[in-house]
Amino acid sequence: MTDEYKPPPLPSPFTNTSPAPVLLTQGAEAHLYKTVSLDPSIPAALKIRPSKPYRHPILDRRLTRQRIVQEARCLVKLVREGVSVPAVLSLDWEGQGGEDGGWGGAWLLMEWIDGPVVRVVLEQWEAWLKKNSSSLDQAQLEQEEERVRGLLRRMGHALGGLHKAGVVHGDLTTSNLMLRLPATSSDPGPTGVSMEGEVVLIDFGLASQSAQDEDRAVDLYVLERAIGSTHPRSEPLFESLLQGYRESYKGATSTLKRLADVRLRGRKRSMLG
Amino acid sequence: MIGIGMEGSANKVGIGIMLHPEDGSEPKVLANVRHTYNAPPGEGFLPKDTARHHRAWVVKLVKDALKEAKVTVDDVDCICFTQGPGMGAPLQSVAIAARMMSLLWGKKLVGVNHCVGHIEMGRLITGASNPVVLYVSGGNTQVIAYSSQRYRIFGETLDIAVGNCLDRFARTLHIPNDPFPGYNIEQLAKQGKRLVDLPYVVKGMDCSFSGILAASDGLAATYGLGGSEQAKLDAEKSALNTEESQDLDAKPTRADLCFSLQETVFSMLVEITERAMAHVGSKEVLIVGGVGCNERLQEMMGIMARDRGGSVFATDERFCIDNGIMIAQAGMLAHKMGLNTPLKDTICTQRFRTDEVWVKWRDD
Amino acid sequence: MALLETIDIPHLPSSLPVHVALYRNVENADYLKQQLLAGNSEFEYALIDASMVLSRAHAITAIFRAINDYMNGRLKSRNVHSEIVFSFSSTNNIADSFRKFGIADSTEDLLVVKVSVAPEITHDSVAAYLEASIKGTPVPFDDETLSQISDVAKIKKFYKLGALPDPKPISAEANGVYTDDAKRRLELSLLGAIALRGS
Repeated sequence: MTDEYKPPPLPSPFTNTSPAPVLLTQGAEAHLYKTVSLDPSIPAALKIRPSKPYRHPILDRRLTRQRIVQEARCLVKLVREGVSVPAVLSLDWEGQGGEDGGWGGAWLLMEWIDGPVVRVVLEQWEAWLKKNSSSLDQAQLEQEEERVRGLLRRMGHALGGLHKAGVVHGDLTTSNLMLRLPATSSDPGPTGVSMEGEVVLIDFGLASQSAQDEDRAVDLYVLERAIGSTHPRSEPLFESLLQGYRESYKGATSTLKRLADVRLRGRKRSMLG
Repeated sequence: MIGIGMEGSANKVGIGIMLHPEDGSEPKVLANVRHTYNAPPGEGFLPKDTARHHRAWVVKLVKDALKEAKVTVDDVDCICFTQGPGMGAPLQSVAIAARMMSLLWGKKLVGVNHCVGHIEMGRLITGASNPVVLYVSGGNTQVIAYSSQRYRIFGETLDIAVGNCLDRFARTLHIPNDPFPGYNIEQLAKQGKRLVDLPYVVKGMDCSFSGILAASDGLAATYGLGGSEQAKLDAEKSALNTEESQDLDAKPTRADLCFSLQETVFSMLVEITERAMAHVGSKEVLIVGGVGCNERLQEMMGIMARDRGGSVFATDERFCIDNGIMIAQAGMLAHKMGLNTPLKDTICTQRFRTDEVWVKWRDD
Repeated sequence: MALLETIDIPHLPSSLPVHVALYRNVENADYLKQQLLAGNSEFEYALIDASMVLSRAHAITAIFRAINDYMNGRLKSRNVHSEIVFSFSSTNNIADSFRKFGIADSTEDLLVVKVSVAPEITHDSVAAYLEASIKGTPVPFDDETLSQISDVAKIKKFYKLGALPDPKPISAEANGVYTDDAKRRLELSLLGAIALRGS
């Protein structure tokens, strides 16, 4: 979308990296690159929060540092608690520093997760269903739905684990959930869309540690709306996700009660729908 | 087609007359007159007093506008008025005038959403076709993007508007309300050098200003910088043009607080705007509303947009600040689509969300 | 002959290779420690008690952090080699990190690290030093060897990770294909703790 756009130069030490890190996505806040970990045979994800020249330099450093550290703290905590997220391999919140005091932004080196994002899996499945729904019998349809229910339930387990660890994600969409490719892949069935693999939560750029039902409920609500708007055929199966959530998280009852309130409030319905 | 626009949702009453040539060429502003109600320093404008002001001025302004535009009542096709959002009593006083004119002259009424007025005027003046819009004023703070005939709100304030935050801090410091408090804060901020720590509250694409205001007020109280005495000292100092010694351990000055407040709240606004731009894949940004006149905000937004390979559009105070022309512009677009407001539906509403308006005149 | 490995850690300039050797049954730890304390520049090495090292990735992560801080002029301790010892720590207490991770008189298993911060520091010069100074059995610097050396209970205690499950004891049938989730989780938790130090 921004063809002539040039990302800012990489902060130290990644100017040394050979081959150079490859830019994958450019968000408002951060740039995501693929590179290698500290072991050249193992890939890694590199997230860079570049300096924002529109801000006052003191404010810029304070915010950039705060945010990258907050993200890293959440990830480290989740790894410790055994929740599936990319592990933190290395971190530098002070950017390049050095000679001219140049401040290039902060970076976070993370474990590389190999696999598709759930958004793509659901999109492919929905496309297949749309194309073939007329030729499927009831039993096949139910079997296919069962597979998606299974996936949603595993997503629910992941979210339950996240909330149990006292972290809220802050930006849950199906683009921020991945399926880690299993070592040996099984038969994807007639659709050709595999739903195997461990569900991994990614992009904790807006995450925080919170003990509030409200924050957890908003997490679920945002995901529910995101599924509703991007995966209409999967939306009726959202209950399976909540089932998984209940199974993995003891506090689910009060969070789900709050979710009902949040749904009614639906402050930004028109924007998401 | 000629339309009259009548605005009075806050402390300005404005009448604009606009021509949309039949051949589809560029719309023309025929008249743009306005009068502002200013409360004394240290005070805000109250609904009752503001409404009284609007009632006193509206007839004269309509007459002036017709004279300036060199048109007669017969030339006018529709009467557009602000239906909301805004302060109840001032909105009503202008709406009553609009209804009366409509009945007297037999013209159609068009109720206009104030925010949509700002957006349409900004698009017209700047030529930005499909920008992400930052709407910032004393009553509103929204990040808006167009999609399928609605102006959708991507982010907004969770409590007070950014302009309200600035205005109220101006009151704390007894900064004059004339021409408007934000302008005077901006001038004072130019002398500020030191950034003091203030809360920075962005949640996704939303933000909050009440904590920042409380913290700024708190600092002003701690350092004894509030009140009319300090304001007088400041005025005397700037008259003598004395430079204060820049001792970093010294307590912050009034200018430092204004500077820090602006730097903090504007960074938040630019951040949520950038997030919306990344989200919808837009490279244009349009700033509208009274706070949009602030040159530091425009500068910061410009740097952000440039780094994304895009550009910023802003208007000067003739159009940034509430005016009748913007109401005429948005109202006439609706009128052309046959969207008029029957008399019985012309009740004003203090809460009127931007995304409630059916933007029938756009089909992109 | 020392099993000295010279490693180019990714992302670091090729002018800063790192030389690493691992020893068991070290007999002269007290002497080495004395030289270090005396500030003898010949002995400016990172000398690490290998029982506190869980894995190769654990050590490389600490080394990387120290060199990155060195390159950016942010050392908290005297030089890059003392900084490597400190970088194993999850806290800002330098003295404590030396007590926990640094060589002690009783150290039997020793990890030695040297960074080529000057042109005269080469694989050969380091190998010669090791040959001359360290009385112990050189062993390969790999996870299998380290798993026989590392004191998991001590490591977990220092990093306050007592709640984590224990890694499985090394078994013969694992045979290279090592898929111990508990060990992986512990290792990644250590990397995170090192990354977050001082944040």
